[in-house]
Amino acid sequence: MSTETVKFEPEYAQPLLQEIMDRSGQNLLACYQCRRCAAGCPVSDEAGVTPDRLIRMIVFGQKEEALKNFLVWRCVACYTCGERCPNNIQTARITETLKQISKKANLEPLVPKVAAFHDSFLKSATNNGRLSEMEFMILLLKKIKNAGGWSAVIAEMKSQSKLGKALYKKKRIHFGSEKVKNLSEIKKLVKKAEAFS
Amino acid sequence: MKIAYYPGCSLHASSAFYDHQTKIVTKKLGIELVELDDWNCCGATSACKTDTFLSIALPARNLGIADASGLDELVIPCSSCYSRSLVAQSVLADNQELKDMINSELSKKVSGRVKILSIVELLLKKVNLPQFDEQVKYKLEGFKPACYYGCLLTRFPYDIKVSDNVENPQGLDIICKRVGAHPVDWNYKTDCCGASATVNDTEVALKLMSKIMKDAIARGANCFVTTCPMCQLNLDAYQDMVREKYNISQRMPVYFITELVGLSLGLSERDLQIDRHLIDATGLLKEIKQV
Ligand code: SF4
Ligand code: SF4
Repeated sequence: MSTETVKFEPEYAQPLLQEIMDRSGQNLLACYQCRRCAAGCPVSDEAGVTPDRLIRMIVFGQKEEALKNFLVWRCVACYTCGERCPNNIQTARITETLKQISKKANLEPLVPKVAAFHDSFLKSATNNGRLSEMEFMILLLKKIKNAGGWSAVIAEMKSQSKLGKALYKKKRIHFGSEKVKNLSEIKKLVKKAEAFS
Repeated sequence: MKIAYYPGCSLHASSAFYDHQTKIVTKKLGIELVELDDWNCCGATSACKTDTFLSIALPARNLGIADASGLDELVIPCSSCYSRSLVAQSVLADNQELKDMINSELSKKVSGRVKILSIVELLLKKVNLPQFDEQVKYKLEGFKPACYYGCLLTRFPYDIKVSDNVENPQGLDIICKRVGAHPVDWNYKTDCCGASATVNDTEVALKLMSKIMKDAIARGANCFVTTCPMCQLNLDAYQDMVREKYNISQRMPVYFITELVGLSLGLSERDLQIDRHLIDATGLLKEIKQV
């Protein structure tokens, strides 16, 4: 087994660390690597990275690794790590911050469908003020098409078709959409959000 | 007893029967729900993951409407809406600058006065009263539910005081016992079912659900009981896929807590629309005993 020496250069690491601490509101410097978070993280197997590792990457200024690892994209925001952390560090707020930084920098998401899903959801929710499950699915399929072409769309529809039929039979699919009357208020909030980020 | 009510998008679409049940069950319990006028989507998990400002501002608009309603309490049955609204209220209580910034766009401003309740907290107020015994017409004798709280009833990404035990909550268990059911003691009551990942990261979600299913079955449960429309839909709609992939033979109906309380109060399967589950939930109903 070979061991690699990790270099820590504070001037190099500082900007990334500071940006993430500011945006997430989490004090990453309080982490003392006890790994209580790691023990409870339900996606640690699939992610291959645990919250403590992610925090270490950021503290060391390893930007590429911090943005491109599966914990950022597969974190299910269950808040178990934050609940158990003796230093009150909410890694879910760090993973969401990293997703936002990645989007702002126009980086290709490691799991594109995760980004497409949440973007489409929020788009539909703010278009009408209330989510239309149909519009949401159409927006998502459009994004899937842009990324993977029609074959990707067909594969997606195939994988969901059995379920769709079952839901339809139980009257659990709604084609209509509801609209907020005072939609201009929602639009103003969306505009403010753009200025804010 | 009048209480403000925020249904949220799920309860107006794929889980419309939960909205319906919530209304008829609370009515039986003497609660009048007043739906927030012109409410909007809370942004759910997706807003958190993509836009921090909107994840606070969207639920804030609803809170402003609730604060202006003059009612003291607001019940939110969907766990995700409940969590997002509670977080928004707490963040704004601590951040005057952000509160002013959001309020400047709202016709009904957030003051922070309304008390937000989960459906569990609301039901507990009623089922814990001695008079409730007189209202119970049926005992859910054969029901051995695994009470499934999921992530969002007790864990928050912000410092929020929780009215139940965080790692081993009891609210749903207490309600189940009050209607004669026998909830099992199990390990996965607050584990994540991966509902926000099922469409976009299916493998992860199926695996999380398989762990929940296996433990519930090993502990002798014959159904799940939950409050969250996302968890309900996830465990209901994808259960056969989980069973196939992970070799689980038993099927488990996934009830909303409103269904158990409603049945005990004498509401029928039809009244409650229990036929809208994907995993049949009507078979267990023969286990109900008249008091
Ligand atoms: S539980 Fe908290 S302090 Fe411990 S390793 Fe995880 S983030 Fe660091
Ligand atoms: S919030 Fe994310 S990082 Fe934390 S335990 Fe849950 S899945 Fe893991």
